[in-house]
Amino acid sequence: MGEIVHEHLSSGLEYGVTPLPDRHVVSFQLRILAGMAGEPPQTLGLARLVEETLDKGTVSYTAQGLADAFDAIGAGRQSGTGRETMTFTCTVLPEHFERAVELHAELLQRPMFPDNAVAINVQLAKQELVALDDDAHGLVDKLITRQAYGPVAGRHQLGEHETLERITRTDLENFWRTHFCAGRIIAAVAGGIEPRRVADALTRQFDGFGNSRREGREALTIEFNPRTTHHDKSLEQEHIAICWPGVDATHDEFPVQQVTLGILSGGMSGRLFTEVREKRGLVYWVSAWQETPRGSGMVFLGASTTPERCAKTYTTLLHEVDRLAEDITQDELDRAVTGIVANQETRGDATRSRCMELASDLFFFGRPVPIEEKVAKVQAVTIEDIRRYLTLHPRDRLCVITLGPRPLVSPGAPAVKVTGGVVR
Amino acid sequence: MIRMNEQTPYTLHTLANGLRVVIERMPGVRSAAAGFLVQTGARDEVPELAGVSHFLEHMMFKGTAKRTWGDINIDFDRMGSTYNAFTSEDRTVYYGWVRKADIGKQIELLADMMQSSLPPDEFTTEKNVILEEIAMSKDHLEHVMFDFLQERVFAGHPLAWPVLGYERTLAAMTRDQMWAYFQRRYAPDNMMLIVAGNVKPDEIIQLAETHCGSWKPAGPIPPRIAPPVHRGTDVLQTDRFKQQVVALTFPSIASTDPRIETASAAASILGGENSRFYWNIVQKGLAPRAGAQHLDYTDCGVTILYAACQPDRCEEVLAAIRTEAGRMCDERVSEHEVERVKNKRRTSLAVEAEAPYYRLTQLMDDMEDYGAPRTIEESLADVDAVSANTIRDYLKACPINILGHLTSVGPRNWPKRN
Repeated sequence: MGEIVHEHLSSGLEYGVTPLPDRHVVSFQLRILAGMAGEPPQTLGLARLVEETLDKGTVSYTAQGLADAFDAIGAGRQSGTGRETMTFTCTVLPEHFERAVELHAELLQRPMFPDNAVAINVQLAKQELVALDDDAHGLVDKLITRQAYGPVAGRHQLGEHETLERITRTDLENFWRTHFCAGRIIAAVAGGIEPRRVADALTRQFDGFGNSRREGREALTIEFNPRTTHHDKSLEQEHIAICWPGVDATHDEFPVQQVTLGILSGGMSGRLFTEVREKRGLVYWVSAWQETPRGSGMVFLGASTTPERCAKTYTTLLHEVDRLAEDITQDELDRAVTGIVANQETRGDATRSRCMELASDLFFFGRPVPIEEKVAKVQAVTIEDIRRYLTLHPRDRLCVITLGPRPLVSPGAPAVKVTGGVVR
Repeated sequence: MIRMNEQTPYTLHTLANGLRVVIERMPGVRSAAAGFLVQTGARDEVPELAGVSHFLEHMMFKGTAKRTWGDINIDFDRMGSTYNAFTSEDRTVYYGWVRKADIGKQIELLADMMQSSLPPDEFTTEKNVILEEIAMSKDHLEHVMFDFLQERVFAGHPLAWPVLGYERTLAAMTRDQMWAYFQRRYAPDNMMLIVAGNVKPDEIIQLAETHCGSWKPAGPIPPRIAPPVHRGTDVLQTDRFKQQVVALTFPSIASTDPRIETASAAASILGGENSRFYWNIVQKGLAPRAGAQHLDYTDCGVTILYAACQPDRCEEVLAAIRTEAGRMCDERVSEHEVERVKNKRRTSLAVEAEAPYYRLTQLMDDMEDYGAPRTIEESLADVDAVSANTIRDYLKACPINILGHLTSVGPRNWPKRN
């Protein structure tokens, strides 16, 4: 592996490259520092509509012409809209890298937002909102996110029916004009390519693209709302989501949080899988995970079970969190650490994973973070560190969502019952 | 009998008990993946034991003569393995992806699991887990749709029942019945050990001899029988979901057919990304999701064209699907369309070549379909051979402009049943 490169171009664009000379593909991600949090409240769903419509006609290409141009180089690409950013990710053979960047520059800098494409995408977003109602996990995710993060950071990418109705082509164009510029782009590249080629391509394609000031890098404010809410729905299972505030990705305690979650849910020997599924047979799916918007962190527990087992599952989940501070063993700690470290190595064999790793470092830390540095921090975590973390970040204020046919009946968790139309 | 080909990175070896060992050397990587492929799945079950293959897969994690379930889980996690298992209609797979230094430990653990004791005291607890999995599946529109489609298209054949089985068959199933199935199907002459990564083949073969060499073969198993593919219309009306899924199913070729890459390309042109369905159904605002899929087994295959839409738009969505299917058959696809699909396939093959786990899954497909591993170059040659002419010939043999089988699942009783 060559040395990781990290630079800012005069256009304002920030980029990093992890050269992997023996690889036969290149993966890159262009991250635009604009997301759902930047939507006007009356036009929720706007950011994703922008993302979906950017490639539906540009100055030089029709929608299908652009898709054909990407296919001509065999580009495997995805895009997504988050609360803080939009991402455009692409994997190509190295000889097609420059062309892939050129085509992305075209859709990011010269979109036309044709009226018909805007109307169709609004129509599709409304249909996808209906489809979300058929996806229990997606729906629970939407509900817990809104409750846990508050009205801005807790937005859903599809918006709401009534806000989608209001969105016009002008809204899309204004959002794009305000947020799309080189100063708000972070590019991460990994694979079989020389850093010089990356710099040349990004310079050629993004020089002079709007504002060069480094904007959009401020932390997001969240409004945590601890309460228990039940959402009635005719389902086979009751779907449970629980969360409470944790630490953000740059916090000194972040590696401790990572290891703690590893002990809870890192593998099949994790406490949740062991206690909830293996010993009691309460669930098929149970998990713990974290989310880290810039400047904040949230710890989640989730499980799905049939309604008569819901209360027992809920109390077992929380009991396992509470028990952590009392009886962690060194062997558990070692397994959790090994899981995180080994994962870096195995997944690191995939170029796309290396690109995502770099993209995450640039976004959260503003620099590439050597794998050795991350590994050393995880390996340094002790049982005492975990006990301290659990004391400083207790699960004493919980946000709980249940979705299914029956409210959660559990001591200490009085449910606010919400019925009908809650997802709109 | 070791067969090493200097031109390829593969080593094939068969133990005296019939266990086949397949190894792909990947010198440039830091990890390795190992898996046991057992040639058994839902289609090998008798009706009263529907779901036994999948339930057995869960029970294989529950203990051996050497390890409790807790030991198994802990030993996987001590290596930091990325591991799991899955059951389909025609295979059951157990795998682990580890740092290259741990591949010996990984193979030992997987091999020990293959000699499960199916602990009786874990049977009921795990049955509850399966019942939860079935409940979860019933809350998922596409699972419900797919199970219903298989049930009706393959009616009268084991491919008709869900891999998870039914509550009634699970409830009645005993540990003795499962044990008998296990003894018959998990024999070395019905299994393969497949390894990919930065490994030394002779060491892997030695590991296989040490950990699997004493397993007793069970002799030939009954051959599978290809299913009928039924025509007609079947509706499952359910108020659980707000959308309606409509699907058309047509007989097609098996995964072993030399035209399989052509069939896959045809499905991509019709219903993949940047496809005819995308531009003429999704981007016309008719349905947020529409696609085409080639579902294949070693002895049969079907093409499925589907869309999820608002219930009141079923008629126009189905008409649009049929129009595009008709165009595929009646008008030759352009070389431009073919080339686009082939280019994407080339990139995906390059990605697949990078990581041991990706290669492991492909090797499993290759061994089942061709009886031998295939190099990326061989796969690329198959991709290169696809053309507008091969697609025309394939669609002539496996038309999708006929009535086929129509499945409809959702809140609307459409097409109307009597």
